[in-house]
Amino acid sequence: MAPELQTAGHRAVEVLAGKLRRRQVVGSREAALETVLVLRQVVSRARFSNINQLVGIIRDVGRRLSEAQPKEHTVGNIVRKVLHNIREEYNTATRGTAAAAAPVRNVYSISKFVLQGQPRKQHVAPRSEATASLKENDPNDPDSFARGIKPVLMEAIQDVLDELETVYDNVSKNAKDHIHSDEIILTIGHSKTVEAFLKAAAHNRNFTVIVAETGPSYSGHEMARALSAAGISTFLVPDSSIYAIMSRVNKVLLGAHAILANGGMFAICGSLLAATAARTHSTPVVVCAGQFKLTPLWNLYHDYGALDFADPSSVLGFEEGDLVDKVDVVNPYYDYVGPELVDVFITNDGDHPPSSVYRLIKESYDDEDHEF
Amino acid sequence: MSPGPSLPVQPPNGPQPNGEPSSGPRSQKSMTKAERRELQERQRAAKAAKPTAAPGAPNAKQAAKSNQPTAAPKKGPDSGAAAAAKTPKDAKAATAVASEGVAGKAHGLRIFSHFGLPKPVSAAKGDIHPAVVRLALQFSNFKITGANARCIATLTAFKTVIQDYATPPNNTLSRHLMTHLSPQISHLVAARPMSVTMGNAIRQLKLEISGSDIDLPEQDAKDALCQKIDNYIRDRIIIADQVIEETAGNKIKDGDVVLTYARSSVVEKVLLGAHSEGRQFSVIIVDSRPMLEGKRLLSVLSSAGIQCTYLLLPALGSVISEVSTVFLGAHSIHSNGAVYARAGTALVAMLAKQHSVPVVVCCETYKFSEGVQLDSFTKNELAPVGDLFSSFPLTKPREALTLHKGPNLEILNPLYDLTPPTSITAVVTEVGVIPPNSISSIPLALGRLL
Repeated sequence: MAPELQTAGHRAVEVLAGKLRRRQVVGSREAALETVLVLRQVVSRARFSNINQLVGIIRDVGRRLSEAQPKEHTVGNIVRKVLHNIREEYNTATRGTAAAAAPVRNVYSISKFVLQGQPRKQHVAPRSEATASLKENDPNDPDSFARGIKPVLMEAIQDVLDELETVYDNVSKNAKDHIHSDEIILTIGHSKTVEAFLKAAAHNRNFTVIVAETGPSYSGHEMARALSAAGISTFLVPDSSIYAIMSRVNKVLLGAHAILANGGMFAICGSLLAATAARTHSTPVVVCAGQFKLTPLWNLYHDYGALDFADPSSVLGFEEGDLVDKVDVVNPYYDYVGPELVDVFITNDGDHPPSSVYRLIKESYDDEDHEF
Repeated sequence: MSPGPSLPVQPPNGPQPNGEPSSGPRSQKSMTKAERRELQERQRAAKAAKPTAAPGAPNAKQAAKSNQPTAAPKKGPDSGAAAAAKTPKDAKAATAVASEGVAGKAHGLRIFSHFGLPKPVSAAKGDIHPAVVRLALQFSNFKITGANARCIATLTAFKTVIQDYATPPNNTLSRHLMTHLSPQISHLVAARPMSVTMGNAIRQLKLEISGSDIDLPEQDAKDALCQKIDNYIRDRIIIADQVIEETAGNKIKDGDVVLTYARSSVVEKVLLGAHSEGRQFSVIIVDSRPMLEGKRLLSVLSSAGIQCTYLLLPALGSVISEVSTVFLGAHSIHSNGAVYARAGTALVAMLAKQHSVPVVVCCETYKFSEGVQLDSFTKNELAPVGDLFSSFPLTKPREALTLHKGPNLEILNPLYDLTPPTSITAVVTEVGVIPPNSISSIPLALGRLL
């Protein structure tokens, strides 16, 4: 039977769902942070006597939040990540470390070889020394299980929160290895991950950045200001000149909104143009994104409906009075960029080519959580 | 036109002992005009100002990179040239360290320095005909844009000039008229670099002038020239456009979705012509900064009753799969089939080709330019910085935009780009529909009339 959520946790979920629905939470990292905080509240107040009840509670929260804003994929990703961590903690707490042991290496055989190649679940360092006495569904004391495992769960959630808070630093760790002296880098829009990456590289390297304006949001302007304030020589160009300058560009650096399971990504509108122009000129395309953007979702048919549409008045405003009635205006916010256009994803957990994104997803999330 | 130097410019380590820019390895010839001007201004300033010990405020990045304080950058009109001028100046600096740190920074800013920013129209030197003065102002304010429009406007202005011209004594019209026209042409070029169409038309005009009969009375010669100009406009532009309108219009079928970029006068005529013949089709207009010309096309087409969709260039990827044909205009076309057109055309053609959508370029033969251009850097033009065309949405607050350059920040608005022939399916001219690789045969097709 489904346990009801405690009122406080319930309220927090509704508040966040409202904010998501009204698009008051802007940016994938902000949405992810808010989701973690809400989940922390929910878990700390939840009452459950076995693990499945807890999983059910969290999945319910995840379903409500993703339905509030289906295009904000990081919300679902965080819920999946928390569920994965919780299950790991639970497994180590009840069964010890046997499940996570590495296979014995002293016999060489094909079966061992194949076993070693299986995607290894991401290790959450077990903190479960004192949980040998966990008892589920205790009829006398229904809350004993919850009480026993909660500290461990809170630490698991704190792990996710820590990872989110250090995303920019970890992505920029190896920035100076990716960017060389006197390089000319093209970027579009205003991705904070890319901004942190470039600023980190600027400490050791001398390079130039060309920022495309990215209409109609023109977020490129803020990016150019931020980069030039950090002392990086910056050029601001309109989107129309991306092909024109591509022959001089050494690398294209993009940010992502969500990384899909096939290695493709949703990125700000204009990324498809930049990536295609780069492919035409054999220029490498590098995407900087945190791992919380990995989404177990496919865009096989390049659905028009998968895009999110923004306000048309920034394309054709009401000052063009008589045109507004007669004309259709299209203003998608995101582009789908296929995996064949991206060369590498630089994440807070290392660099990966698009072909191994499916492995990352298998390692970070559990299969049963793909659909809430 | 650059303002006088506002700060005394000092070599980094005090005045040079020999007072001469000795270690500058580059001769005057190897510097661009902008750099030479900077060098002259600097030398003038160095003579005029009293040398003081304090160096100017160092550029923040260079101070971080090298311990040598460098002289303050001049408040020049284009910091691209100023940064480039820093390099010859720092080549004069005493230590190699400072120049190494700075050369790395200046490299990025230098690669665009040959573009050259547009200069404001100077006061008319010599006697420039008022029609030409007016035209130059219209050009520099972008009131007249587009290859065809500019060419027709130029030729019309020159007709007025020719009619008002009087041959001085002891001179013939055929020899002197050209010298009379040269300063007018330079004035127009100073306002805005000449388009290929203007160049071709003026070359043809020079040919006609030098071929005019010496024995004709002056007024008759002038009338003949004006008639020839009218014929040129009529044959090479107006009638050519009509032929293209018909040929390209045949490529539009009922139910088609046609995509076009920015505003080409030829494509506008094609679409209006096809619509007036009763074909049912819809148009997608893709537009982009800096000029946002597509809005004009949008209002013309929607007042004619054509169903239109309007979007900005970054959104192209989401609609390209629904498009049946792409029609593009051109500024000029080269002998290898590369099309030099409004910036952004190359992106549209590239994406269309990727999605197997035919790309048709509508171009009259007088836009043909001898020679091969390899990329968009060989020849290009920058639009003036700032919101000249009011192309930012009103919903965006002006403080959020970067409209002026700052330290470490430059704004470039190239107006043209080059579409390689591989992205183009066919070129429609008045002599026929030609695949891009055969463009070099156009002069042959015209009987070498180019």
